[in-house]
Amino acid sequence: MKLCGGYDIKMAGRPAVEIESPVEPKELFLPRFSCRFRFSELCIGDGQHVRRGQVLARDPGNHGVPLLAPRDGTAHLDLEKEHIVLRGLSANPPEALETPEAPAHISRELGSVGMKRYKLLTLGAWQYMFTAHNGALPDPFGSPQAVLVSTLRLDPFLARGDIQMKTMLSNFTRGLEQLQSLLEYQPIYLVLPKVATAFAEQVREAVRGYAYIKPVQVPLRYPFDHFKILAKALGLSHDDEHPTWALRVGGILAMDRSLTMSLPCDTKVISIGGSGAIAPTHLTVMPGYPIKELLSARIAAGPVRIINGGALTGQAIGPEQLGIDVECAGLTLLSEHVNREFLGFVRPGSDRRSYSRCFLSALRRPMPERMTTAVRGERRPCVACGFCEEVCPVGIMPHLLHKLIYQNDLDAVERARLDLCIACGLCSFVCPSKIALGEEFRQTAETIRQEHQN
Amino acid sequence: MKILTQLFNQARSHFAEGGLFCRLHPLFAATENFFFAPSARTMNAPFVRDPLDVKRFMSTVIIALVPVLAVSLYCFGLRVLAMIAVSYAVGGMVEVLFAIVRKEEINEGFLVTGLLFPLILPPGLPLWMVGVGVAFGVLVGKELFGGTGRNLFNPALVGRVFLGIAYPVAMSGNWLIPGSWPYGRIFQYASSTTVDAVTTATPLGLAKQGQFAGTFDLFVGLVPGSVGETSAAAILLGGILLLLTRVASWRIVVATLGSFLALETLLFYVLPTPIPPPQWQLLAGGILFGTFFMATDPVTSPATGPAKWAYGIIIGVTVGMIRHLTGYVEGVMFAILLGNIVAPILDEITISLRLRRLRNEK
Ligand code: SF4
Ligand code: SF4
Repeated sequence: MKLCGGYDIKMAGRPAVEIESPVEPKELFLPRFSCRFRFSELCIGDGQHVRRGQVLARDPGNHGVPLLAPRDGTAHLDLEKEHIVLRGLSANPPEALETPEAPAHISRELGSVGMKRYKLLTLGAWQYMFTAHNGALPDPFGSPQAVLVSTLRLDPFLARGDIQMKTMLSNFTRGLEQLQSLLEYQPIYLVLPKVATAFAEQVREAVRGYAYIKPVQVPLRYPFDHFKILAKALGLSHDDEHPTWALRVGGILAMDRSLTMSLPCDTKVISIGGSGAIAPTHLTVMPGYPIKELLSARIAAGPVRIINGGALTGQAIGPEQLGIDVECAGLTLLSEHVNREFLGFVRPGSDRRSYSRCFLSALRRPMPERMTTAVRGERRPCVACGFCEEVCPVGIMPHLLHKLIYQNDLDAVERARLDLCIACGLCSFVCPSKIALGEEFRQTAETIRQEHQN
Repeated sequence: MKILTQLFNQARSHFAEGGLFCRLHPLFAATENFFFAPSARTMNAPFVRDPLDVKRFMSTVIIALVPVLAVSLYCFGLRVLAMIAVSYAVGGMVEVLFAIVRKEEINEGFLVTGLLFPLILPPGLPLWMVGVGVAFGVLVGKELFGGTGRNLFNPALVGRVFLGIAYPVAMSGNWLIPGSWPYGRIFQYASSTTVDAVTTATPLGLAKQGQFAGTFDLFVGLVPGSVGETSAAAILLGGILLLLTRVASWRIVVATLGSFLALETLLFYVLPTPIPPPQWQLLAGGILFGTFFMATDPVTSPATGPAKWAYGIIIGVTVGMIRHLTGYVEGVMFAILLGNIVAPILDEITISLRLRRLRNEK
């Protein structure tokens, strides 16, 4: 297996390995938009009482994935702020739901497998599934060529898979068996940081005979856990008919919950980490949990940037988002850059870690660094140092793309394969000239996409 | 520090758009950001950034030059400082002027150019020539191309070539003999008019006439030559630092020195006239200094890996050929300039090869 580029960024503020449960919230703010989903088709009315597990809205663009009510309560449509608010909550224990009848053509064509997949969709477990090649939601009734199960999470501060796997091992192995029952002959690749450990052996022992699992070892180096990179390294080429499915530990646990217990998947493990977090940790929360309450005792003093997702790929959350969205894997809190260091660039720098070895820290063991939102330098023209090319995990040339974009030569940009970029952000991270390469690439990709549409 | 912060805060409005000195804003920004880390924050993912910036990158080169500076001060005296001061003053002025005209930021690059330039000059050169040379180098070698990052040639080398053509006698006739134990010339201000201290030939020049200087003398630097090029030991010290910090590309260094040594070994056995052995050649002249500090300049060297190898080999081989197959004594300068010319072509080739490979990628 060949993996190139990558760089392991070590940052202080790693979430602890315990999984905490926060107190029951009084209200829930369910955002109707997340990274992949837009729950635009409302299924309830304003002021309507809803039961736990009831469908609040659907995303018609994504096979109708549902937004489920995580609690009993009264729904308020806060359309302006794009949330569905649940008030007057009661924390009834979850009940196993009647399995809804799958549409006739599905049960006819796919039999019991089709029913199971339909159940995943309706109980909110299918949302955890990705197409490895482009990250989109795959067709639940399609036929994959293989399934990737990743236990890694390398973007700093997202909920770690290994912790969820270890605390809920029996659920995890059962989930793997459920996954196998959805497939015919396709292999399941279980991506682990180390294959030859007692724990990995334990997992394989537990599912032996029930699931055909191929363990795959991947070094802990960002962004080797990216599905597209994993698929490529495993030689799974992209095929629209037979895509590669990919999911993480949370997805396997959701399969177990929905298929074994027939429960709606309305909780998930997220993380809170970063330099602006007090006691970074993992939490079991439900979608819609108010962000303000969640962070009240966990956010450090002073200005802090709240990021939905990891420090390298996430999105800043403004005050308009009130609750955790369905896809959230963690909140990263970064202290804003306020203190301007005096003569910073001549300091020996034993406390800062760099891709280059221009700081004294190169002489000591890698240590986590406390990072803020500082750009840490001035924007300069590209000095052609080549660092961006070295770290790029897909083998394209960011400095070349930058030059071509500057010249506004979009044809050449396409020929330089901007489409291969997975937006990992490493090139922007290492660039000493502080060029916002990643952002530039995102915008250009968008421009190119629009041009193709016209 | 507090006082300084206040000072900057008070002055800021004068340099802002519409202020009294708004044209001088680049100068203000450069000074401010010299003392205090810039206040910019990340707006998009990735929200964190590596601590390395161009300032640090360039100051690492300057730190790597400290051993060389120390030895040259010892060997050639206080005048070296005067040369550096002139080079910085004139070079800095040109840089600031262009930044103001172009309304761009002042680039750190001139801090390196301004220091490298005097180090490749003969130690006794009149100060006004230093000024003329650096002005030409920065102006023609860099600013006309659009400033740091866009220049084709190493500005210091452009300045040096200009001086070599305009004032050939001053540039090659008078070489200061290094001071001797124990104080060297640390307390002297010796120029080329100090008659008794001057020779007409460097070790490489003498070698052409069949006289070989001692290898040890070459290693520590007790030979006449350009200000910073004489002491192989000091250059290696700085060069290793550059390699360890990844500021200099190891590919270029290995390719240049490797191909140079290979060619020298070949010529040593093949040439009819006796020439010094390869290790002697490596220590003499500007090959080490040029390789570590000039050829590895990221802007004027190729950006892609394979092109770096080819670039290094071209430089190494050219140096050897000029030294032995032409009338010139030393060829490092021309070799690197040649490398600079072909660098974009080499890049072009590797890029097109790589694009061809990428084309079928899924
Ligand atoms: S963001 Fe794109 S171009 Fe930059 S390193 Fe990642 S994959 Fe490569
Ligand atoms: S990291 Fe930045 S400065 Fe270096 S080659 Fe890439 S774009 Fe240029």
